Amino acid sequence: MLTQLIISSLVIGSIYSLMALAMSITYKASEIPNFAQGEMAMISTFVTFVLLNSGGLSFYPAILITILFSFCLGLLLEFVFLRRAKDPTPLSFIVITIGFQLMLYGIAGWKWGSDQRQINLPFSESKVIFQNDSVAITELNLATLVIAVAVLLLIFLLVQKTKLGLAMKACQQNVNASRMNGIPSDKILAISFGISSVVGTIAGVLVAPIITLDPSMMWDPLLKGFAAAVLGGMKSLYGVVIGGFLLGIIENLFGFYISIEFKSVVAFAIIVLVLYFKPSGLFDKHYVRKV
Amino acid sequence: MAVNVIVALGLNLLVGNTGQISLGHAGFVAIGAYASVMCMNAGVPFLGAFLISGLIAALFGFLLGIPSLKLEGPYLAIATLAFGLAVSILIGRMEFLGGRMGMSVPKIDLQWTGLKYDLSLYYLIIIITIICVIMTRNIVKSRIGRAFQAIRDSDIAAEAIGINLSKYKLYSFGLSAFLAGLAGSLLALYLGFITPNSTMFTFIGSINFLAIVVLGGLGFVAGSVMGAIVMTFLNLQLENVVDLPLIGPLLYQFSETFMSTTGIANVSWVFTGLILILVILFEPLGLYGLWIRAKIYWMRWPF
Amino acid sequence: MAFFEVKNLKKVFGGLTAVDGLNFALEQKEIFSIIGPNGAGKSTIFNCVNGLYTPEEGEVIFKGENLVGKRPDQVAQYGIARTFQNLELFAHMSTLDNLMLGRHIKMKTSVLGSSFLSFKRSKAAKEEMHHRRKVEEIIDFLELESSRDQFVSNLPYGKQKLVELGRALSLEPDLLLLDEPAAGLTQEEKEEMIFWIRDIRDLLGITVVLIEHNMQMVKNISDRILAINFGKPITQGTPAEVLAHPEVIRAYLGEDVNEAV
Repeated sequence: MLTQLIISSLVIGSIYSLMALAMSITYKASEIPNFAQGEMAMISTFVTFVLLNSGGLSFYPAILITILFSFCLGLLLEFVFLRRAKDPTPLSFIVITIGFQLMLYGIAGWKWGSDQRQINLPFSESKVIFQNDSVAITELNLATLVIAVAVLLLIFLLVQKTKLGLAMKACQQNVNASRMNGIPSDKILAISFGISSVVGTIAGVLVAPIITLDPSMMWDPLLKGFAAAVLGGMKSLYGVVIGGFLLGIIENLFGFYISIEFKSVVAFAIIVLVLYFKPSGLFDKHYVRKV
Repeated sequence: MAVNVIVALGLNLLVGNTGQISLGHAGFVAIGAYASVMCMNAGVPFLGAFLISGLIAALFGFLLGIPSLKLEGPYLAIATLAFGLAVSILIGRMEFLGGRMGMSVPKIDLQWTGLKYDLSLYYLIIIITIICVIMTRNIVKSRIGRAFQAIRDSDIAAEAIGINLSKYKLYSFGLSAFLAGLAGSLLALYLGFITPNSTMFTFIGSINFLAIVVLGGLGFVAGSVMGAIVMTFLNLQLENVVDLPLIGPLLYQFSETFMSTTGIANVSWVFTGLILILVILFEPLGLYGLWIRAKIYWMRWPF
Repeated sequence: MAFFEVKNLKKVFGGLTAVDGLNFALEQKEIFSIIGPNGAGKSTIFNCVNGLYTPEEGEVIFKGENLVGKRPDQVAQYGIARTFQNLELFAHMSTLDNLMLGRHIKMKTSVLGSSFLSFKRSKAAKEEMHHRRKVEEIIDFLELESSRDQFVSNLPYGKQKLVELGRALSLEPDLLLLDEPAAGLTQEEKEEMIFWIRDIRDLLGITVVLIEHNMQMVKNISDRILAINFGKPITQGTPAEVLAHPEVIRAYLGEDVNEAV
């Protein structure tokens, strides 16, 4: 039973990691936590749904188009809204993202109502791949894990090995110096948002079969992803990913052994505790401002 | 609506004046409401229950404030978020608080006013609100309020001036929770029946309160009042969007072609979100800022 | 016992020793300057005195007590005020409010008390008026009347520096630490600043420590100077002694001494 628990923890943990990663990418680039992450993923997932059903497309093209859509959504957020802010305090940006989130939530609810819908991925939830006495792994579980890990690796490669990744890191550390070295920091920021939106969308699509598609589906993953990011240290990409998996495990273990009802609460409580002792999360470094 | 004002006052102290973030203020409102009902059920007269619920909420405010001393920005946002969620979940689960069904609120004795119950309750709430507004305004203009703002603007300088950051941050959390708790107590009285899913007690409620504070103008007491009034008005109107004179039918037609009509109530979210964004983009000082601009414009008029 | 003394101060950041083996003592009502190239550790000294940093070794003795390890707000209670190199004003408040904040430790109103501020007879109101009078004296002293109600972020840089100075004075300190008071000022403003610092010492009786790069100011007003480089002291003494010291010239002033001063 324990192994089954671990497996499902890893699966849900990978979703949390993706969300946390998406959050961290934009936070690293701009010091803004993007609260709209969840709704952006949700709307993009709905787009997939529409493409699959009314559009009659098959899965992979639909996904491709969705990825494009969510990338543009990210660009939209940065370009149209965040850039125009007159008062660049962190609170203002947070409020803007919250506003964007509300708008997307309203639009989704308006268009699709709150009925739950089913989305059909090529990975079936019922088809079991591997089974023995203690464990049953479905195709969906495996696909989720594999895809999530693949995305995580891709992002790491992007950040560590490409010029774009280097540019992103440079902009995060010192915007003006980057500009003077020829890096178009605005575009880089917008691209960061776009990438993070795509990562979030992938999480959304992967989680839709489990929690069914409706406008409020991403509230919980968003919060958990956020919590995981905070747990791991928001500026450390490795940290947030580990945070995601850790959160999944803690949550499920607690839910199983102690109480299902309170498991979310406990997850948060643990996070608050961790923050008390290590305010920048488990893996982050704390920079002191020079006066 | 007046209740919104009180919560807004409290939240504004914390967010607008001290520069902290709270995404879980609805939790304090809920605590205040439930504490008040429990006190009243135990026979405590309303005024006592009212104040006690404020104090209990303030206590939780202090407790939440302690981890906040070391946190900033998104970390603090998460911690407060967690708090708000925890409160709403716990309230729903605990049996002696009425569980999912909620609790009913005893009525208080207002016969001495000679007016109908509803009307006298209304006046009572208004009077209490006015008192809160005055007291909050005084606090903001005083040494304490200045200290809060100092923490917001430059905590390093604030410390160099002699302001004990921990003490004042805790004060700020406690005070803003106190106000929210009072509001919760009044809310309970007004609604007559409280359930864990009330909008005002959940995450959506917290966001709503934040919207009010931002809309009105962060850091300005008058702003909180204006914001609460406007937002409440908007919410009421938007609940029945279709009935609005011009926009209603337009929206309805638009919905029929592009969207589903059942979900039309969700338009209110779109509007709220849009308002938040527009305020930050164009007038960070909120309604109060607009008011000031209008005043200046009129003062300079012939020129 | 000296009025104020720093003994064997040492502050290390990771691999960097910012300040090492620093010693100096002040007499009351003295104007003492600390000079040295950028990065020599001057602001670090202030930050250690102030409580923003806790030094690894050393003592800061003032009024008979060692201030090391105390929080900045506690240090302020002892009567030490400072200004910051990069100005740490309260940007969203007016000049008046910034200065009134300086009175914070002198005021006693509690939270509950302040909610009665608008009632003229209340204790809160009376205290506010008393301190407002004190602040007005400082505004007169620094000639800031015209900026009284403006948001400090709207003021020109020179005025902002004065507001920060005024705020430090509002604490009624016994010791004032000024971090590069002449930086960014016009020539005229620099000359006025020299007079102000002297007045602060002569009229208000405050002991002043300056960090400064402007040698004209340093030469004109200092009673004694400490020169440091790479966190270590080079020499201390009267301006004549220090500014002629060969090591100081080599490390900081440059060979054409006459041009520098």
